[in-house]
Amino acid sequence: MSTSETELRAGAGRPLPGASPLAGQNPGGRQSHPGPRDLGRVNWMGLWTLYLREVKRFLNVFTQTILAPMVTSLLFLAIFTLALGRGNVNFGDVPYAVFLAPGLIMMQIIQNAFANTSSSILISKVQGNIVDVLMPPLSHFELALGFAGGGVTRGLTVGLSAGIAMAIILPLGIHDPLAILWYALNASLMLALLGMIGGIWAEKFDHIAAVTNFVIVPLSFLSGTFYSIERLPESWVLVAHLNPFFYLIDGFRYGFLGHHDGNLLIGSVAVAVVNVALWLVVQRMFATGYKLKP
Amino acid sequence: MDSAGFSPPRRFGRVNGRGVWTLYRRALLRFLKFALEGTLGQVISSGLFLTVFTLAMPERITTLAGVEPLVFLLPGIVAYQGFHAAFENAAFPLVYDKLEGMMGDIMMAPLKAWEVVFASVGAATLAGLTTGGVILLLGALVVPLPLASLPIVLAYALLGCLLFALLGFLTGLWAEKWDRYAMVETFLVLPLGILSGTFFTLEAVPELAAELMRFNPVFYAIDGLRAGFIGSAQAPAAVGLAVLAALCLALFLLCWRLLAVGYKVRP
Repeated sequence: MSTSETELRAGAGRPLPGASPLAGQNPGGRQSHPGPRDLGRVNWMGLWTLYLREVKRFLNVFTQTILAPMVTSLLFLAIFTLALGRGNVNFGDVPYAVFLAPGLIMMQIIQNAFANTSSSILISKVQGNIVDVLMPPLSHFELALGFAGGGVTRGLTVGLSAGIAMAIILPLGIHDPLAILWYALNASLMLALLGMIGGIWAEKFDHIAAVTNFVIVPLSFLSGTFYSIERLPESWVLVAHLNPFFYLIDGFRYGFLGHHDGNLLIGSVAVAVVNVALWLVVQRMFATGYKLKP
Repeated sequence: MDSAGFSPPRRFGRVNGRGVWTLYRRALLRFLKFALEGTLGQVISSGLFLTVFTLAMPERITTLAGVEPLVFLLPGIVAYQGFHAAFENAAFPLVYDKLEGMMGDIMMAPLKAWEVVFASVGAATLAGLTTGGVILLLGALVVPLPLASLPIVLAYALLGCLLFALLGFLTGLWAEKWDRYAMVETFLVLPLGILSGTFFTLEAVPELAAELMRFNPVFYAIDGLRAGFIGSAQAPAAVGLAVLAALCLALFLLCWRLLAVGYKVRP
């Protein structure tokens, strides 16, 4: 359809310039404005629009949001293999690099899913265009789903690209595709939800940088990414088992190597429970307008 | 009292000393304003690296290049974080000034191009040295770090930070958007910083890579800095100093010429 046609159609409902104001009201039985769209139980179009915005937001700068994490994970792989690989370390029956790869992929999923939602909400708040999200007829559930969907998509995209890059240079087998999918999905969702809580809570970029630097990055480093949990001192093993990030990394690694430190059943249930709880918090935050609405 | 109501322009000799000092101080104050958050983040990340390496290090590796693994790693991490801070503090303000339209304030001032480069790069170098120094002091609380030669440490730290500050200045001139800045940081500075013998010895890498590393100036900077602490280098010290000094000079001349012709800063 050409532009002029679109304009004509768009203008059809409006009174022509010069016509009497009454003329536009009901010419030939037509309404001057279309009535509100019937939404049904779920505003699918609104939800899809929000999701699409969240995805296009990070695809627009894909060098920073997809290529950079991929390069970072490969660099980590290189330095750790070179620094530690001389001892020909094996974990179980796999070389250290193969042990490390799933941990590094999960680390990037964790950091990127968090970055996506937290930056989106915080930037909207700081720039004042958060109303564009709060005003439309979107329920709290739909808001949470739209933002979380964007974060999950970012996490999975980054995980997939880093995984492909590593599979090219390493003999990375797949032991249990279902476990890989389950943990990748839950990790992305958990961090997307945490990112939303962080983004809603934070008032300045400093705040979110502090959360990223002091909570998210340390947890993604220290939850078994680089070493088997058996290497920790006795007293820390219990602490590690209370850390949901440990289950994410451990279970994800199990999906590739078939080797795990923790209990898989507890892990897979625990991450889902944490996600449900976080989801409720996020929905509550949107419902009450905590730090979102004046 | 002159008729125009204001005093005549200040006279200065061949070098506008006060102008250089003002620009230098401005750049330094900018660094100090965000120093707490910036440096704290880098301190945490250094601590994470040390922790993770300690936990992941197999027990049978007891020495790296003849010293304890942590003693080998700490100077590398300090160098990398210092260099990174120098790069950031040279590039970031420049991109910011360009995007916010404040570049005119610097181009209009009675400062020659080399004076601008000197002041900006000088402040960024000091920022890098400060960051590295803080991490070194905190790291030395945990790791029993020897000190073989203070002059060597200072010389390499200065040249390394200067090199990255100049690199940052070039990036700042070239980058028109934050994207470009991030691109250089991710695909050049990060790999250069951590693949240049920061965490491993030359023997650990394959033959070909070891040969290539001898052409990498950052390797000399990190190796030389570490030699100042542990007393043994993998490359001859004189070669390293010469390579770094020559490269810094070349980059300084390049920055000076680019700024003088107004590359991407003048319409």
